Amino acid sequence: MDSLIQESEWGKRNSMLEDKDFEFVTNEDTNSQEPEISEKDFELVQVDATVHEQKFQTRPTTFFKDSIKRFSKNKSSVVAGFILGGLLLLSFIVPLADRSDTKHPHPNETYLAPKLFNAGTGWWDGTVKYKNIAVDISSMPDAKTDAEKQEYWWPSATKFPQHSAISKKKFTDETYTNDATNFGGESYGKEGYIQFGYTQVVQKDTLVDFSSMRLNSLDLTDDLTLSVFDVYDMDKVHIQEGKNDLEKPENYVLGDCALYFNYVEANTLTGELEHKEVQLLDYKATHNIGSAIESLREDPIVVSNIIKTETGKTSFDNAYFSVRMNAVGEQNVCTLIRSIKFETASSDEAIKTYVDDISFIDATKCVIKKAEDKGYWSSTGVKRIFLSKAYFCSFVYDTYEAAFGERVDNGFSIITLLEYKKNGWISLEGLSIGGGTTFVFKPHQFKCEILDSKKCPLSRAVTLDDFSGYDPNIETQIIDSSKLKVAAHIYKYKELGYSSMPRYLFGTDKSGKDMFKYVFEGLRTSLLLGVLTFVVCFLFGLVWGAICGYFGGTVDLIMERFTDILAGVPWIVVMTLIIIHLGSNFWTFALALCMTGWIGTAARTRTQFYRFRGREYVLASRTLGASDARLIAKHILPNALGTIITGSVLMIPSVIFSEATISYLGLGLKNVSSLGVILSDNQSELLTSSYLLIFPAVVIALVMISFNLFGNGLRDAINPSLKGEE
Amino acid sequence: MLKYSLKRIVLALITAFIILTLTFFLVKSLPPRGVFSPDENVRYAFYVDQVKLGYCLDMPVETPSLGKYLESFTIGSTTHYFYTKPIIDQYFSWIGNIVTKWDWGRSTVIEPNSSAMVIIATRLPASISINIVSVVISVPLGIALGILAGLKKNTWIDHTISTLVMVFISIPSFVVITFMIYIFAYKSGLLPTMWPTPDQSNTVKALAFIIPVASLSFGSVCGYTRFVRAELCEVMSSEYLLLARTKGLTKNQAIVRHALRNAFVPILPSILAEFIGIFGGSMILENLYGIPGIGDLYIQALNQNNPDYNVLMVDMAVFTTVGLLAGIILDLSYGFIDPRIRMGEKK
Repeated sequence: MDSLIQESEWGKRNSMLEDKDFEFVTNEDTNSQEPEISEKDFELVQVDATVHEQKFQTRPTTFFKDSIKRFSKNKSSVVAGFILGGLLLLSFIVPLADRSDTKHPHPNETYLAPKLFNAGTGWWDGTVKYKNIAVDISSMPDAKTDAEKQEYWWPSATKFPQHSAISKKKFTDETYTNDATNFGGESYGKEGYIQFGYTQVVQKDTLVDFSSMRLNSLDLTDDLTLSVFDVYDMDKVHIQEGKNDLEKPENYVLGDCALYFNYVEANTLTGELEHKEVQLLDYKATHNIGSAIESLREDPIVVSNIIKTETGKTSFDNAYFSVRMNAVGEQNVCTLIRSIKFETASSDEAIKTYVDDISFIDATKCVIKKAEDKGYWSSTGVKRIFLSKAYFCSFVYDTYEAAFGERVDNGFSIITLLEYKKNGWISLEGLSIGGGTTFVFKPHQFKCEILDSKKCPLSRAVTLDDFSGYDPNIETQIIDSSKLKVAAHIYKYKELGYSSMPRYLFGTDKSGKDMFKYVFEGLRTSLLLGVLTFVVCFLFGLVWGAICGYFGGTVDLIMERFTDILAGVPWIVVMTLIIIHLGSNFWTFALALCMTGWIGTAARTRTQFYRFRGREYVLASRTLGASDARLIAKHILPNALGTIITGSVLMIPSVIFSEATISYLGLGLKNVSSLGVILSDNQSELLTSSYLLIFPAVVIALVMISFNLFGNGLRDAINPSLKGEE
Repeated sequence: MLKYSLKRIVLALITAFIILTLTFFLVKSLPPRGVFSPDENVRYAFYVDQVKLGYCLDMPVETPSLGKYLESFTIGSTTHYFYTKPIIDQYFSWIGNIVTKWDWGRSTVIEPNSSAMVIIATRLPASISINIVSVVISVPLGIALGILAGLKKNTWIDHTISTLVMVFISIPSFVVITFMIYIFAYKSGLLPTMWPTPDQSNTVKALAFIIPVASLSFGSVCGYTRFVRAELCEVMSSEYLLLARTKGLTKNQAIVRHALRNAFVPILPSILAEFIGIFGGSMILENLYGIPGIGDLYIQALNQNNPDYNVLMVDMAVFTTVGLLAGIILDLSYGFIDPRIRMGEKK
């Protein structure tokens, strides 16, 4: 605007000049008309003011300031710049400021959910929603009504030791499940079927012999005197199949059921025991499950004669019998047994007990029995629960309350209690250390009070009722430390040494590492790697490109061919070769990334040098005797540097990207926390604790996005001619 | 043009030769590893073949001057000690075997004693099928989005597309793949969680294409969108387009006849190069989704405990060749489309 005003003023003056009448005279040398100007034709423009050299009205600007101005107009780049700056700052501050330990495992603090808000807020509050978890039936004894069930239920105590659900919502009544392992403890199911003799694969053209897949009742180990008539009296076998309205495998049959009678005879010659096996009863039933619900063997087969003919005896010492069920049929045929009940008319208690033991009415309970339990059925093939019935619940579990909350510690150490007293946290009377591993306990004098409720982990003072293993009637007693027990009410977090309940923003992983610190440590490693690689590649590429571009000709040709070859090898190949040759650590990794990383910078530098080396100012400097080094360093490089840097700075995110990718594949860094390594380590936790992947993934995505946006903005600002190009 | 093309091809061949030679020497200079198989007969057969192919020496007695023997076998009364030949001898045997028998080396771990080239060939179909579908979907989509963004430059459409492109190009592909598998396969159960085995139903096989194709397409859709947009923007501001408008063409006519045609000069070659790229496999995707392609083979061959260097080398060769070939196609097709352009020639 200022310049416009100046221009118009000039125009005015010119027109004033033109208005004058000049006398024209002919110049004889050139034969042209020229105005004759005399002194009085001149007129002072400003008589009353002193004329100085005037400054430009516009503000002067440098190239850099101009770039900043252009950059700040690009709002997304500015925002990206701030995000990037924030992340950079965090990656250096967090590992220093966050005191939590990421080097050693913390078994008490594993898999804590991310927590920012207080528990119960519903989001990012350190709780985990569990759906359809089997309820431990033993946790709700005699609960009949729904209200009672709702009150007492609790799932597996091993998986959820603390009752710290903040909301117990859904409680599903008996649901069938045909995958018993799915709900953690098979012990929480009931009924269902034993499924056996079923296999899915034909191994290498050899058909697995299904008839050999048997379900055996455990042989009775106690000595038992059996008479033929006892066996005969075991006269009823109930084998119940399933209902037809449930989901079932396509083929199923009921297997052969055989009673085996075994006896052990003392061999007088060697003193060794010889086993003989006599098959007493062969019972075969093949049913379609839809047709029969319960098949009942009403008529016992008279077997005493068979035994008599086989053995020539009527009574046996050390005899036992077992029941064997054979799976019959072909491939993909399974046998389902709902319940088996044997009955005996024998009056012998031992036989009655045994017969009861091998019977079962609840298949699930039978299947989970261990080999050492009574009534265990072994299988030569696959044995599993099918269509077991269980209660399921859905609830929100506060992981922090479970790990750090108030609880009753039944195995609380009395030594610790005495230490608390020493620290002055509690007052304790009537309990002191005796000689060796004993305590002197005076129950009548016992008194305990909390003095320092801030530091003391006890949530309430220990009372006499909490103690066990002592005689309440004796005044003073010396008790061994293994006998005297105390159940203390404690705050776990105080016991672990925290002054308040910890709060992990990104949760903790399988070894109890604080993910918040760990992720930013990883980011720091990744960034360091990126910057280091950038600096090395940039310097090397700059020198290489400068030599190529400045000297040109044969030098350029040879060096370019070299770059061509190197650029032709995929980076993963170069990286692999270096890693298998030099091993995988931070420095070899950086080296591998540097091997191909400099090519881009070199090409960019070369182009810029070609562009500037023929300029007049370079020629002028050369004629004045400047050396090559001076020309490169003082004249060409400063002009080219802006473009080269902005073009190359995007190398940093691409290095982070490459590192994360190769580490994720398990080929990269080991024992160093980088973002890729963190993601790779927690890859298997995706389904159970997805936050372990979400947070590092968000951080890496954020870094990449903001780096790219920032870098592009910077390039557009410094070199507007490249705008829009990628 | 012919001379130029020939020159480029010969140069690429020389480059490939140098790269493969370097790779050979680098890989062979690693501590040699014998064959990995529990069956002694297979191992013995492998070494006998290696001797025939000229990589190993069969010595009747232990010869410490040859270094440590790979393995020894006692058959009948004779004992065979197998040693590796010097690398330079192996190199010439290797070249000879490639030229005469097209034998690029034998697998040591993945399928002991079968030709690495055959293993690669059996793994290629899976990689190629995914890549083809992905190219067929991503190229038109990317171009369409790019044109849309370019024509509606600086409107909300352009901003939305550009932002999305920026976001998707920035998120590492393994993150995208992992979360796609998590959400669409495990959480909702809509898609298979892994690449199906051959005996699974056709529906499952078809559904299994969705995650790999989508994850491969993200990158290339974004790339094309950005590329097309940039080219179109440049052309749209050119003077000949202004002339076309001033001489009376409608906006659509000017765009279709002048802007798009010129914008496509650099785009078309990269599409052709993309089609060469279908012979390469994506390591991450194949590894994460369990696709038996050559990318997954690479990771398998690179197993830190039990690497299969011969297969690895051939796999590297495939990746290198595909890359070089794509580069040549890209450069040459520039010349065909616009004869003024000679990529890689002196200015």
